[in-house]
Amino acid sequence: MKCPRCVQVIHRGAGLCPHCGFGIAEMDARHGQDNVSLRRLADVAGLMKSRERSKVQGALDDFSRRFPQLFFAVYTGSGKGGGNVRQFGFWLLNRAAFEDVPVDRPNEAGILLVIDPETKAASVTWGYLLDPYLTEEDTFLGLSRAHAYWLEGRFAEGTVRLVSQLGKILAKRAAQARRDPERFERKVAPPAKTGEIARRIREGHRQVGPKTTEVAK
Amino acid sequence: MKALAWVLTAGLVVGAAEPPMPAWRDEDRKSLENGEILPGLELLTEEMPEVPEEAADVPAPTSDEVAAAENASPEVDEEFLNAYFGARPETFLVDPQKLLGSEDARDRESFLKYHSGDSQVDLYVYLFDGHQAIPSGVREEEVVERFFSEGKPAVVVYYYLGAPQKSDIYVSPLLSDTVSAPEQRRALISSVEEALEKPDALAQIEAFCVQLSIRIYWMERAAGLVKDVPVTPVARRVKKEVPAKVESPAVLQAKAWGQRYGVAGGIMVGALLVVAGGLSIARHRARFRFPSFDVPPRLGGSHAAGIGAVISFGSTTQSPSSQRNDVPNYLGL
Repeated sequence: MKCPRCVQVIHRGAGLCPHCGFGIAEMDARHGQDNVSLRRLADVAGLMKSRERSKVQGALDDFSRRFPQLFFAVYTGSGKGGGNVRQFGFWLLNRAAFEDVPVDRPNEAGILLVIDPETKAASVTWGYLLDPYLTEEDTFLGLSRAHAYWLEGRFAEGTVRLVSQLGKILAKRAAQARRDPERFERKVAPPAKTGEIARRIREGHRQVGPKTTEVAK
Repeated sequence: MKALAWVLTAGLVVGAAEPPMPAWRDEDRKSLENGEILPGLELLTEEMPEVPEEAADVPAPTSDEVAAAENASPEVDEEFLNAYFGARPETFLVDPQKLLGSEDARDRESFLKYHSGDSQVDLYVYLFDGHQAIPSGVREEEVVERFFSEGKPAVVVYYYLGAPQKSDIYVSPLLSDTVSAPEQRRALISSVEEALEKPDALAQIEAFCVQLSIRIYWMERAAGLVKDVPVTPVARRVKKEVPAKVESPAVLQAKAWGQRYGVAGGIMVGALLVVAGGLSIARHRARFRFPSFDVPPRLGGSHAAGIGAVISFGSTTQSPSSQRNDVPNYLGL
């Protein structure tokens, strides 16, 4: 878990980044704190043709069909209020209200791809439901699949590739989670308290002797 | 001039002279006067007056002559048998009895020669008299087989002059396989019918030969001895014969494997296709669900704080990893 601004690791449940003090309030100040009405495919920058958009829309529909809890959204454009594409994706997924997503799929179950044509950068942000199942490396693998297409300006094809790649990863993680859910639960469990850590350390150093009943015998 | 007038006058006088009038005999005159004879009565009756038969000058046949006539054999005289059936004839018209006159025989022979030159099947005509018969000791089929087995195919006809309906037809062994007996018979009947339409024996044999020559033409075609040749040559594109492909040993081995294991292989491939199709359908229908855990919110985000990778696509010369917009974790956590 990293901070979207300083990209340093932060602890679970941190209200602000302990390193740079980043929080959503900063982004709200730039972009507003009201919800933004969007559709899953928001080609604001106009990077895709009509036929290409339908192809991307099909990929998004297929993702939603395979993962009944999740949805995938794509936004092309740059945040006018400043900040990098990582911070903008973090803010947009928290403030967006997707019109074409059923209410039983909240933003916690969403994955958002932001493509900024001005800075020629793209980022992936996901909701809390996917915290145990997705890593930064997974998203980089998906972005790498799309990279060659985006270099040629074929944004729709690259996006379809990215969606497909993340779908494969998530399908594998779903199967793993069905077999061993605790493994993923531990990743998001709340941090142990300081006193608890000290108690575990002392118990680890204590010699284990015979019980009283065994000595009496 | 006077002489001419005299000649004409004399001619007229001679031309005007009438035959002498009949004269009554005395006894006829008396009968007429007695009413026994009516003049012109003979013209009004159809009955002819009986004329007394005059005694024949020819003496009646004797009993020996009658017996000899009854025992007279119609068979061909033995002296001609060797000429008829002793060897393969050198002429197409076989007439050792000289039944035809020399000129007629020459005409028939010339026609048969013309037929031989124009046809693949010769026509031999053995000529007999209408009342004659071939001796029973002679087997016509055997004669044909013996003399016409080799050489040019031939049709042999035993023709009876003046009695074409008695004729017989035989074909050489080369033709007997392809020209059936009914077909031979039809050719003979057709020729006989043509001959019978003629009034005399010479015309009959001529018509017979002509018609049989025509029928032999069709026999040639049936036997495959004559092929139709187009009158005008037709331009045709020469076809290039493609040499037969020589299959390599690998192909032959593959074919052998295919014949040996084709069915089993086909079944296995089909089974694999079914399995692959089933897996594809199962994958298409697969739905993936995730266990939901309580995740405390971070950085004030109520829904999401999962920060993934950022990649730049500004340079076509650098790899995706080198364009990964990452900041090193200086804390080392």
